[in-house]
Amino acid sequence: MKKHSWAAIPLYLFTLFFVVLPLIYVLALSFMTRNVTWGVDADFTLDNYRKILDPVYLKTFVSSLEIAVLTTVFTALIGYPFGYFMANLSGAARRITMMLVIIPFWTNALVRIYGWITLLRPQGLISSIFLGGASLQFLYTRPAVVLGMVYALLPFMILAVYSSALKLDRSQIDASRDLGANRFVAFWTIAFHQTLPGLMSGVVFVFVPSVGLFFISDLMGGGKIMLLGNLIENQLMRSRNLPFGAALAIVMMAMTLFLLWLYKKITKSGDLEGLI
Amino acid sequence: MRKIVSLLLAVFLSAGLAAGCSNSGTEDEQKTLNILTWDGYIPEDVLNAFQESSGISVNIANFNDNEEMLSKLEATNGGQYDVVIGSDYIIDIAAKRGLLSELDKSKIPNYDNLDPVYLSQYYDPNNVYTVPYGPGTPLIVYDPAKVTIDIKGYNDLWDPALANSIVMMDDARNVIGITLKSMGYSMNETDEAILKEAKEKLFQLKPNIHHLDYNNPYDSLISGEVSVAYMFTSQVNTALNERPELQVVYPEEGMGFGIDCWFIPLNAPHKDAAHEFLNYILDAETGAKISESILYMCPNQASYDYLSDDFKNNKALYIPSDILGETEFIKDVGEAATLYDSIWTEFKQQ
Amino acid sequence: MKKWRPSSIYLAIVLVIMYLPVITVVVYSFNASKLTTVWGGFSLAWYEKLFQNRTLLETLKNSLILGVSSCGISAVIGTVGALGMARSNFKLKGLVENISIVPIMIPEIILGMAFLSVFSFLGLKFGMMTLIIGHCAFCVPYIFLMVKGALAGIDAALPDAARDLGASDLRSFWDITLPLIVPSILSGAFLAFAMSLDDVIISFFVTGAETNTLPVKIYSQLKMGVTPEVNALCTVMLVVTFAAVILFNLFAKKQR
Repeated sequence: MKKHSWAAIPLYLFTLFFVVLPLIYVLALSFMTRNVTWGVDADFTLDNYRKILDPVYLKTFVSSLEIAVLTTVFTALIGYPFGYFMANLSGAARRITMMLVIIPFWTNALVRIYGWITLLRPQGLISSIFLGGASLQFLYTRPAVVLGMVYALLPFMILAVYSSALKLDRSQIDASRDLGANRFVAFWTIAFHQTLPGLMSGVVFVFVPSVGLFFISDLMGGGKIMLLGNLIENQLMRSRNLPFGAALAIVMMAMTLFLLWLYKKITKSGDLEGLI
Repeated sequence: MRKIVSLLLAVFLSAGLAAGCSNSGTEDEQKTLNILTWDGYIPEDVLNAFQESSGISVNIANFNDNEEMLSKLEATNGGQYDVVIGSDYIIDIAAKRGLLSELDKSKIPNYDNLDPVYLSQYYDPNNVYTVPYGPGTPLIVYDPAKVTIDIKGYNDLWDPALANSIVMMDDARNVIGITLKSMGYSMNETDEAILKEAKEKLFQLKPNIHHLDYNNPYDSLISGEVSVAYMFTSQVNTALNERPELQVVYPEEGMGFGIDCWFIPLNAPHKDAAHEFLNYILDAETGAKISESILYMCPNQASYDYLSDDFKNNKALYIPSDILGETEFIKDVGEAATLYDSIWTEFKQQ
Repeated sequence: MKKWRPSSIYLAIVLVIMYLPVITVVVYSFNASKLTTVWGGFSLAWYEKLFQNRTLLETLKNSLILGVSSCGISAVIGTVGALGMARSNFKLKGLVENISIVPIMIPEIILGMAFLSVFSFLGLKFGMMTLIIGHCAFCVPYIFLMVKGALAGIDAALPDAARDLGASDLRSFWDITLPLIVPSILSGAFLAFAMSLDDVIISFFVTGAETNTLPVKIYSQLKMGVTPEVNALCTVMLVVTFAAVILFNLFAKKQR
């Protein structure tokens, strides 16, 4: 049965004008040629995509993906137990924990990163408390960037795992324990299996933005570490090579869509969990 | 419940409408001024005094570096901003792109206060577009208590003794520029072979770089996180004010020189206000106040009487000409810009 | 004394680490010294400076206007859209839904660059308008998904029953459906508002000459050297947030 509702029209229009068309424009840009001074010439070319294969830029891709993988692994390791335990809490405690997870969002991401910088400076608070004032050489390294990313993205992982852990059928776990399974076997065979969609959606929610958060690598990496996001930002704001920036964005988007497709294949479910 | 919802919706919608309206330009067109500048590049008190005396309300938008400024200017096609600051070479590019508007000097009587030394430069030979604001020479500064070698020029920055101890501006043209200088070339080479050579050399510098910071490299020099810095004039002075024992180096291979200038973009919406602002900052006394605050050389002749002796004797600002020798501007390198870009990208992720 | 289970201890440790940087910012807002490397004693000077700093307060005001208007507009588009979608049924419905939530699925920088280039191509004036559009792009999906979830949980028989009893479509929506989805709209709007305040990347690309928002200002300050007023401002924001969240929870409790 085919049915349309007028009520969806504003959403269609909004999506068309502010999501679909801009993205199509970026796609078109990616096949154009950079004007010598700025702007674009409408000459069709594949050079922008070819340029990505240039070892210089390919290296940025690889290093950015490495950081993204590390970030995802660490957020999963820290966030999975957190989300799982949080779902086990009783009503009031759960609400309070939830609030505490969400509240940092209300200060700006930059401020929290700035807090870390203050803490991690060679002569900062952590060095004076734990190292007796010895110079801490951590800021402006790759691990520092990963820390910043894990920190910024952890709430997404927590919320994703939490929402699927909430739906967990606890009677099954109890049953399997009654049948003699030990705590870990019971967890592994039942709970982990059932919360896997949450974990997977957390992975998507973390991995996808972590290639783009240019300001974190900028601030925590001391300008020495480049992500795909930095590369795009540089092409836009510094090299003024819009078409190349567009090509990078398109490749980034293709990777994201592939990941989402993979997610649906693996979990066989429709929507991502968490946040909502 | 329903009441609450209706109330909330009403609040949201009216806030949205209010925001939309306040944006659609109902205010008096000539009573605002949109400045695009580096954060903190105009002293707060000068800005406040200007707003009070002129009745113009000022909006400040910031950018981080020259290239970003140009991108913003281009994205808005030279409109939306009224008065913009930038360095010499970027102004050259903007002028070639036709993004600048000619100054109406009849509206800037104080223009005559400017020292001719800083006028008629390559980016504006006939002085039609720009008002010089911050001339200076980037220098090397180091902490003699921590550095064991004697730093005389750029080449010494490659010394293994300086492993992981240098901070530099996060800027392709300047850093590649001094690499070229250290090899006896110009800062503006466009030859691919020479740039390749410079790239090899630049990569060897990486182990010595602690981090790159365009805007406040002096922080980590003051706190002792790094022991050597290559930075812009005002930053050199900020570091020296905090720690006078720091050593300043006039690189023997030759120094760079740059002038940050104000200009009015082609389609600036409030050109009158922009001229009024430029005239205001060119006032003799205000000019002195500005230079003492931003710590660049003072391009305003008439201000000299108001400058403190400390300022006039500042050796990082006013470098004796026998030491200064031939200086070199960074210039637009045209097509080679993509080469500089790819070298810089590769260097940063090495 | 309640016994702490290992899992609670784990939660507590992670939360402490999560709040470490936030607490640092709060503590340093009371630092008399301007340098973050030195503790110069307790002082309220930065708060005094903050309330005199016209530019900083202006950016805060802009951010609040931006947050409220984009989440208000999104609440309408998202809610009505979800209602419409729930009543629609066609072959490509799944695809259309997926496309409409694309903004929160792809890295923000892609949308940022898309908006920058499109707005500049169209010659739009960068400012509050472009910021609101940019923020709505990621606020709409949040509210849409939230309401969609709530609608899926409503017993379809309820509105039908109302209609059978003679209520008009609008009447049955107003009396039955709306009250049931209001909590979801509110939490969606709440989330969208938080995301709007938190956003750096899209704001960075679409901000204009006359409207500075807080994140953009803080970003340039971070690069130029932060003045401790920013610490003070964030502390104020945190206190307000805590108050708002607690009030919201009390309110939600009463509603139940």
